[in-house]
Amino acid sequence: MTSTAWKTRVAVPARRPGPGRGAIVVGLLAALGLVALWALELSPAGLVPLAGGRAIAADFFSAAWQPATEYEGTAGIDGSFLLEILSALYRTVIFAAAAMSLALVAGTVLGFLASSTWWAGDPALLGSPLRRFFQSWLGPLVQGATRILIVGQRSVHELLWALLFLAAFGLNTASAVVAIAIPFTGMLAKVFSELLDETDPESAHSLRAVGASPIKAFLFGTLPRALPDMSAYAFYRLECAVRSSAILGFFGYPTIGYSIRLSFENLHYREVWSYLWALIILVLCFEAWSAALRRRFVA
Amino acid sequence: MNASSTIAQLHRERPKSQLLRGSALVLALFALWALVSGEIAWLDLFCADRLENLKRFIATDAYPHALKEDGLSLGGLLGWAGAIFEERGASAALRTLWISIAAIVIAGGVAAVLAPLGARTIMNCDPFVIDSATDRRRCFLPWTQLSSCVRIGFILLRAIPEYIWAFLLLAMLGPSAWPAILALAIHNTGILCRLGADTIENLDKRALLALRMLGSRRLPLLFGGVLPMVLSRFLLYFFYRWETCVREATVLGMLGVVSLGYWIQDARVRQHYDEMLLFVGMGAALVLLGDMLSLGMRAWIRRAR
Repeated sequence: MTSTAWKTRVAVPARRPGPGRGAIVVGLLAALGLVALWALELSPAGLVPLAGGRAIAADFFSAAWQPATEYEGTAGIDGSFLLEILSALYRTVIFAAAAMSLALVAGTVLGFLASSTWWAGDPALLGSPLRRFFQSWLGPLVQGATRILIVGQRSVHELLWALLFLAAFGLNTASAVVAIAIPFTGMLAKVFSELLDETDPESAHSLRAVGASPIKAFLFGTLPRALPDMSAYAFYRLECAVRSSAILGFFGYPTIGYSIRLSFENLHYREVWSYLWALIILVLCFEAWSAALRRRFVA
Repeated sequence: MNASSTIAQLHRERPKSQLLRGSALVLALFALWALVSGEIAWLDLFCADRLENLKRFIATDAYPHALKEDGLSLGGLLGWAGAIFEERGASAALRTLWISIAAIVIAGGVAAVLAPLGARTIMNCDPFVIDSATDRRRCFLPWTQLSSCVRIGFILLRAIPEYIWAFLLLAMLGPSAWPAILALAIHNTGILCRLGADTIENLDKRALLALRMLGSRRLPLLFGGVLPMVLSRFLLYFFYRWETCVREATVLGMLGVVSLGYWIQDARVRQHYDEMLLFVGMGAALVLLGDMLSLGMRAWIRRAR
């Protein structure tokens, strides 16, 4: 006992003078960034807009401080511009919410199936051969298949799913929602399963010890402890879904990206900024909301 | 008092939050509304035209054109895919990778400078407060308000999606890889700054307080104490964001930068859906490669910590 105490007291990490490992890693990464610029044949000169671009840039950024409150192009448009902003925002949020509600259900199920705690049980406690079959064959098989499915869902970007569906179905709002929902399902499932596996298994073990079935131990022991982190992540994903659904507008879906693209191509920069500020304010609101929720969870 | 009443009592007195319950209710109702409001045409997805489209897409459009005559064989499929990969895919994939690296290095560098400005423990009249009474001491600079402004700046940076940034920048800078790199860098700077500032605020204050008590001022405290302590955590975030940069760099090509997305868009416009699927598959493989690299690096950093 005394000898270990003595050891821990003396075990001061020996450090050689000179750059540490951290400094070396940072230096290497910076060098890699320079190599990337070199490989892409880029020079800082490319950052200065060309003559035409400079005019656009000046117009565009000066419009930031005076967003439009009514349509800039007056020809043949009736209806209020502010109402149009609101309804574009509304559709953006509707798409995001629909996608998230699908992704949350599917992601939770897949997340459970991909986690090790869901399949964990004490083999010594398993009596029947059926149980043993579940434990040692079906479990690993389903878990592995689920993990592969999750990786497949995640590795294709939501915009690419949308393009694939666009090619397969034509323009249809439901396919856009599903396009967002697929990769989001994968991401939610991955993070949920990791959070569940990182949860301290003690409460589940004690529930098992007093006779709860593995499922009950999971639902009432493990899950409640992981729930705050899972909800926080799901909320963050909702924010991401709003951004993704905004972008889908660039491909013709009726979200705010569609309006941004249209106004930009008509050179109505003040309209563009109205939409952008509206999107920013929306994200700020979500941010404040999720911060308030997180504070409540931690307390 | 018997056992059941105790449980009932515990149940009554459990911590409850109106905010949580209200939020859950609002979110659930809104999700339901989103699904049934009619804004999203679910039934349209299953109408005859759509299914006909889908059938045609799978049977003819997605079928590799080059193999129409010889029939489908693994060798032919690999030969066709290999030829396209060698011709365009490999260089586009490499460019995608370089774009993501350049973007994340720029974002990481800028975030390393800006993140401390958003940390309320440093941006404080009395950094890593020794005595809460001094907190009310008058300072020359309104530190807290400054850091709040910086925090709002972080949110502004990340509120606008990369794709929109790239779309806008492309019109100004003309076609090069810069718009894609800048768009990714701007968005990720916002995210890395926020994560970095949170990490600094959550640091164990004891070592920093010790430095302070030895007379260290703000900047030495930052460079000698804070940055070395947050470096490994910061690198974890760096690689985590790099993963998403690879995903996004693929997609940003659709705007005209020659990454994988460029060829996806190109094949889509020419209605060569077989090629489009192939490039989407290459993108997925690249993302997987990035995920694995990032996972390896993060595991290495965790071990080295």
